[in-house]
Amino acid sequence: MSDSETHKRPPSRVVISRRIAPYFFLAPFILFFVAFLIIPLIYAFDLSVYKTTLVGGTRFVGFDNYAKAFADPNFWDGVLTLLKFGVMQMPVMLILALMFALILDSGVVYAKSFFRISFFIPYAVPAVIATLMWGYLYGPAYGPMTQIADALSLPRPDFFAANSILPSIANIAVWEYMGYNMIIYFAALQAIPTDLEEASLMDGASAFAYAVKIKLPMIVPTIIVTIIFSIIGTLQLFAEPYLMINLARNLINSHFTPNLYAYTLAFTAQQINYSAAISFVLGGVVAVVSYGFMLLVNRGNR
Amino acid sequence: MAVITLKDVKKSFGAMSIIANVNLTIQDREFVIFVGPSGSGKSTLLRLVAGLEDTTSGQILIDGEDVTNLGPAERQLSMVFQSYALYPTKTVRQNMSFGLEVARLPKAEITRRVDRVAAILKLEDYMDRKPVALSGGQRQRVAIGRAIVREPVAFLFDEPLSNLDAALRVEMRIEIAKLHQRLGATMIYVTHDQVEAMTLADKIVVLDKGDIQQIGTPIELYEHPANLFVAQFIGSPKMNVLVARADGATITFKSGGRLALSAATPTNVAKLGVRPEDISLVREEQGHLVGTVEVVERLGSDTFAYVAVDQLDAVTVRIVGNVAGITAGQKVGLSLDLNRLHLFADDGKTISTTI
Amino acid sequence: MAIAGKSQLSGKFRRNRMLLTAVLAVYFIYTFIPIFYVITAATKTNQDLFNTFGLWFSDDFHLWQNLSELFTIQDGIFLRWLGNTFYYATVSALGAAIFATLAGYAFAKYDFTGKKFLFALVLGAVMIPQTALVIPIFLLLSEVGLLNTAWAVILPSLVFPPGVFLMRAYVDEAISNEIIDAGRMDGAGEFHIFSRLAFRMLMPGFTTVLILAFVANWNNYFLPLVVLNSPEYFPVTVGLANWYATAVGGTGGVLLYTVVMTGALVSILPVIVAFLIMQRFWQGGLGAGGVKA
Repeated sequence: MSDSETHKRPPSRVVISRRIAPYFFLAPFILFFVAFLIIPLIYAFDLSVYKTTLVGGTRFVGFDNYAKAFADPNFWDGVLTLLKFGVMQMPVMLILALMFALILDSGVVYAKSFFRISFFIPYAVPAVIATLMWGYLYGPAYGPMTQIADALSLPRPDFFAANSILPSIANIAVWEYMGYNMIIYFAALQAIPTDLEEASLMDGASAFAYAVKIKLPMIVPTIIVTIIFSIIGTLQLFAEPYLMINLARNLINSHFTPNLYAYTLAFTAQQINYSAAISFVLGGVVAVVSYGFMLLVNRGNR
Repeated sequence: MAVITLKDVKKSFGAMSIIANVNLTIQDREFVIFVGPSGSGKSTLLRLVAGLEDTTSGQILIDGEDVTNLGPAERQLSMVFQSYALYPTKTVRQNMSFGLEVARLPKAEITRRVDRVAAILKLEDYMDRKPVALSGGQRQRVAIGRAIVREPVAFLFDEPLSNLDAALRVEMRIEIAKLHQRLGATMIYVTHDQVEAMTLADKIVVLDKGDIQQIGTPIELYEHPANLFVAQFIGSPKMNVLVARADGATITFKSGGRLALSAATPTNVAKLGVRPEDISLVREEQGHLVGTVEVVERLGSDTFAYVAVDQLDAVTVRIVGNVAGITAGQKVGLSLDLNRLHLFADDGKTISTTI
Repeated sequence: MAIAGKSQLSGKFRRNRMLLTAVLAVYFIYTFIPIFYVITAATKTNQDLFNTFGLWFSDDFHLWQNLSELFTIQDGIFLRWLGNTFYYATVSALGAAIFATLAGYAFAKYDFTGKKFLFALVLGAVMIPQTALVIPIFLLLSEVGLLNTAWAVILPSLVFPPGVFLMRAYVDEAISNEIIDAGRMDGAGEFHIFSRLAFRMLMPGFTTVLILAFVANWNNYFLPLVVLNSPEYFPVTVGLANWYATAVGGTGGVLLYTVVMTGALVSILPVIVAFLIMQRFWQGGLGAGGVKA
């Protein structure tokens, strides 16, 4: 009897199909993932370790392009610009999103779904068109802001000055993405069981206390995720400044943001290899900043 | 008609053994219950029979045919799940028909079978509803109905009553018992609730840590538990277990009390077990043991007294009827029915139940 | 949801309610201003756009003329752009949502070799800057001769990692392992279970991913900017941005601001309307975690 244990049977048909099935389910996604993510990435890395010159042709230079990128003030200027931009834009956007989500979730306002949906609408507006719309609104000669200032005999606001160009772009980003973050928070808040609520809601003031002291801490993981996604999105800023070049030509140069810089290097300056290296270093910066933020969060938790 | 045989069945995930080595035969029309605490492997064993898990080694036979390599449907078994696992997007009728449609039965035949089962389970009025619109008990019946329409050779139940409230659980328990009589089918039923096991089963398989502890009828397990685990798992309230040692025909408790048995016992006795109903409260000087009543619970039909005995765990005593005159704080003697003692060795094995 | 007790309709509560509603109303005005500006601009003559107040209509209602100019200028290429955008976004979003649902289902419901590694890979992909991908994609597409075709925009857009995360979480919540086991007991194969049982249960999550992918593709600018160079393949974002640059730069001369603004209005309206119609589906997807019967 006991020797029957020793020789292995093949597993049953169901188990076989259950073992193979996930690979079939994954195949389409992974196929495209490899074709349009992994391979381009490898290809880009391959590009980044070569250098093309008119005289010498293409030759292997190892990490020379990376060394150059690390020492390139144009690149770091762009990173610095984005960090400033992020410090301006992210807190405003996320705090507003959180505040509105809490208000809408607590149900103490009129026309809840109207506000919820209308705040989300800008997310459906392409960044290109948002920039275009705000660009006109900002218009120094005939824009409505200028018109209002003139009518009130106030000095004309300058949205394209050295110290206002970043806030002007930040405003566009807040306008576009606040509602998206709000919806994410709102969904997280709605998922919290309401058992506690009835007991703790006594009047308007305690509704506020309930929202801030009990609900808010429960969606901290969601908040962390949105912050990380915002960091990633911020460091990849491209369309808004790219389209505003014509409006503020003297302020937005070809290396205003790293993505813009990489784009210009690749398609205007024909420095594909160096451009690839810049992109990789930017990827590294994204990873370092996101990871740094995670470390900060984890330390705060202790 | 189904005899289910498990031969040397083993299951492990990586290095971790879930099912040690199970040999078991389930007779035709038998109602067999796998019982054990959580993590005992009872559900895994059921899933092995179902074909939802692959055995690591060993064979599963249904009516002598080796089905170890067959899928769940090919084994012609149906299963009722703990969460009912009804398809939420389908109506009751569609839930019950799905398996038959997969098997490509003719439409008329599907309708005939579903209607017949709906009548048995009194589901006719709900056939076009979705599961969300049903109560817990109704969902349970749909789940059972879905199992019946496939006309399986045996039914498998995985803790089917644990999501119901207490009253409904008793009601459904009786319905399942009736269903077993009516269908006359082989049923395997998993539960952690020993009351369900005692009331429903023809045969109980007690599992612990992936190993069969004992197989027997409910009364066999109750009267003659094979070891300490079974003794304590079966029966409510639990069997009292007292640390003791034997010397010839004398048992000495840790607390100093003594028992004189009619015959000599082996000397490897480590523990003595006695069920709550086999102890009576007597005057202090007449008892084998002496203790203080801590709590008295009066259920009307029974009275339970929890008696603290020096150096031993609290002893539970069950007295039939509502007995007056027992109060907390009272000093009492405990008299044990010497014909109904259970003796256990160091390793927990029962030494001899007939003394 | 709002389970505010009746007892709290005190004066203080009502005052707070008015106050908070007012705060939201202020933000609503902010949200609506640019859209309103586009609406008024689209109804004006080019002259009025600069000479009348920007946030109100002028006496000369010029919307129909602007629309007709928008759709006839450069042989009516704007309509072509709209069509392109719609085509790219629909095909990409459908494909991306289906792939993400299949992948999310596999990640949520199966154990398989390489699962952790693959998931970490997909997760890490979010950090990759667009340029790092778009530039090599441009070079690779040019090597296989797909540059300046619809495929150049659609194929890379079929990869939508956020959809995979969302679907994985959604599958976990909406489909219990017992449902799948029940399907197996009923004799259905793994694919049959997915298509006949699971997919219907995943519709709210699927719709959410579909809409997110659709919006992402409708809004996409960088990829088509790089991989397309014939105006007849442009999506509306790239086309309008080109017009805009011409109008602002003052080089074209013939292109009027009003046409650009009318184009902006026409291109955002369908998404907003589609979004309003579909929101009842996809909000359900984010909220309710499915029926666990």
